[in-house]
Amino acid sequence: MFRTFYLSYLLRNAYKVNTFIYALKSIPGLRKLLPDKLYQSKVLKIFGNIISILLEIINIFLGKFLYLFLMIFCTISLYKTEISTTFLHVFFFLTIIGSFMNTYMFNPTKDKYYAMFIMRMNAKSYTLTDYFYAIFKIIIGFLPFTIVFGLLSNVNLWICLILPFFVVASKIVIASYNLHLYDKKGIIINENQPGKYINLLILLFLILAYALPALNIVVPSYLLLILMILMILISIKRIEYIINFNKYREMYKIVLTASNMNQVENANRMAKENVLKQITIDSNKTSNKKGFAYFNDLFVIRHSKLLWKNSKKVAGISAIIILIAFIIVTINPEFKMSINNMIMTYLPYFVFIMYLINRGENITRAMFMNSDHSMLTYSFFRKPEAILKLFKERLKSVILINLLPAIIIGFGLAILLLATGGTSNPLNYLILIISILAMSIFFSIHHLVIYYLLQPYNLNSETKNTTYTIVNLLTYIVCYYMIDLRLPTLYFGISMIIFAVAYSIISLILVYKFAPKTFKIRI
Amino acid sequence: MKLEVLNLKKKFGEKEVLKNINFTFESGKIYGLLGRNGAGKTTFFNCLNEDILPDEGTFNIVTESSRPLTIDDIGYVLSTPVVPEFLTGREFLKFFLEINEGKIKNEKTIDEYFDFMKIEEEDRDKLLKDYSHGMKNKMQMLINIIASPNILLLDEPLTSLDVVVAEEMKEILRSIKTEHILIFSTHIMDLALSLCDEIIILKDGNLTLVDKNLKGEKLKNKIMEILSEDK
Repeated sequence: MFRTFYLSYLLRNAYKVNTFIYALKSIPGLRKLLPDKLYQSKVLKIFGNIISILLEIINIFLGKFLYLFLMIFCTISLYKTEISTTFLHVFFFLTIIGSFMNTYMFNPTKDKYYAMFIMRMNAKSYTLTDYFYAIFKIIIGFLPFTIVFGLLSNVNLWICLILPFFVVASKIVIASYNLHLYDKKGIIINENQPGKYINLLILLFLILAYALPALNIVVPSYLLLILMILMILISIKRIEYIINFNKYREMYKIVLTASNMNQVENANRMAKENVLKQITIDSNKTSNKKGFAYFNDLFVIRHSKLLWKNSKKVAGISAIIILIAFIIVTINPEFKMSINNMIMTYLPYFVFIMYLINRGENITRAMFMNSDHSMLTYSFFRKPEAILKLFKERLKSVILINLLPAIIIGFGLAILLLATGGTSNPLNYLILIISILAMSIFFSIHHLVIYYLLQPYNLNSETKNTTYTIVNLLTYIVCYYMIDLRLPTLYFGISMIIFAVAYSIISLILVYKFAPKTFKIRI
Repeated sequence: MKLEVLNLKKKFGEKEVLKNINFTFESGKIYGLLGRNGAGKTTFFNCLNEDILPDEGTFNIVTESSRPLTIDDIGYVLSTPVVPEFLTGREFLKFFLEINEGKIKNEKTIDEYFDFMKIEEEDRDKLLKDYSHGMKNKMQMLINIIASPNILLLDEPLTSLDVVVAEEMKEILRSIKTEHILIFSTHIMDLALSLCDEIIILKDGNLTLVDKNLKGEKLKNKIMEILSEDK
């Protein structure tokens, strides 16, 4: 038993240390400095080992601390119910959820796969040592914090001592029940993709945990305590089942399928299939254009689900929302002031809204996956004039498609402004409309330009460009920050328009200058 | 026409994949490029195709005079066929012919091209995403043949095709070789021997031409000897 434990520890550690070195090497700039021999370096291995032990300690304690602090200790202070009972109440129900969502035993991880299938370790002894080590870690990890936060919440010390055992007991009971389910019916529960019923159950327990105390209802402590002790007693019996279970190897063969484990690759493949599914053919619709215009036209027609249909849907929803606002102010004139005020000062908020409804990023992804990913391997498609011709066609389409909802929103806001009492400066109407349109055009150009300048995908459609990710993240952060900005519509609108025009001109110059070089498949 | 590769060097980190390649390819020949896994065949193709920048080296097209290689000179057929999934076979061909208007020698009608490639009539108006692997491969090859670039790089293009299609493709490659330089990368020695006029081996970052006076088993043994010997 000890040998199995030691071996599995070594294996997991080697895996972690190498992951650490790999991560170190993928930091831009460091890659060139660090040679491949790094994986052999003794010093780095020792360093990696220290890091891995530190991580293990953090892993044992940090999560439990955060969980108890944020999910329980902080939230129960919001309720008016008696604090120690509330603590136990929330703790009890969350623990039940945790035992479903986080069994440990049914979590498909790579180290389990490496140990049992690649290294061919004995599945049963590996699983048992691994599992009981995990259980041990949970107890050690929880104990200090159930004591600290428990005592701070006026819970009896000896109850605090019991709590970690209740956590592992419910995990053991659920895990052994899942094993039983596999043994008798061949059903495997994948905890990372819980089914409909489990999700409902989780939702129910979440409501029990957090909604009941809000209604001043908590389950009495003595009842919870009886249930916890009962759970611990049952679990002692169920440990026997886990130890005697003999089908670990065959069970893990199903749990550890490639699709469960390689979630990143899996997500990638699914994303690819989904984008491919966006292609629809309607034999009535075709194009009379020629060359690149023809190519782009057909792309737009065949991706109507992603493009026009989606844009019409957004436009429709926007129209309905504006109509509802219009009806509200007609029926209830006292809202007029506040809506008028809102339109006059909340324009920055619309940057975020326009960002959200712009489909630029999805459109460029579809462009890559369904078209450029293959076309860029043909030299005729990669000639500078070809790249720029198609860019022009695409720019027109993307702007047009995104402009439809923008027109509705722009004019809708202007009409709403008029209906809520108007403004002293008529220029506001114009600025409102133009700035919304400018935002829409800006985002359309922005997405297409960064796609052409930073073309981030490789042949497997994985994003290979950190700059692209960073630019996208920054765009999001800036737009999100706009939510809190309150500026008079007139000034903000004018600056937005100037910014959008300037950005568009500069970025288009950059594309014409650099895209012929940058627009290719990443190797 | 000749393709001159001069002083081509490419390093990845510490590893010199292409050390110093000097080689002249001639039109009218199919070159079989052999090399062990990781020898750098794809890197060599990627350099020619401007997908990656070499550290050093020049490529020239030599006729009566000499000029640098441009992207127009190259066609690259990959082992996994790549076609724009949202177009039908006919639309892809139409688009291709339109944007290359005036540049294509002896242009034929779309259906004539399909006939030439033995693509069935009922498949011509289907979306390319619904084409089988072999048919996608035929489309890719067809586009490259019509474009008729001076140099055609082929990366294992026949391995995943059924025997009938593979034979058809071989015939087509033989029929176009007179005016082109074809470089055919493969792992299958018999395929290289049956199709190619010259065998070149990429090993330790250098290209070697195998003596073509050798025949049959002797030639095979020589290739094996070069491929498996240590530095």
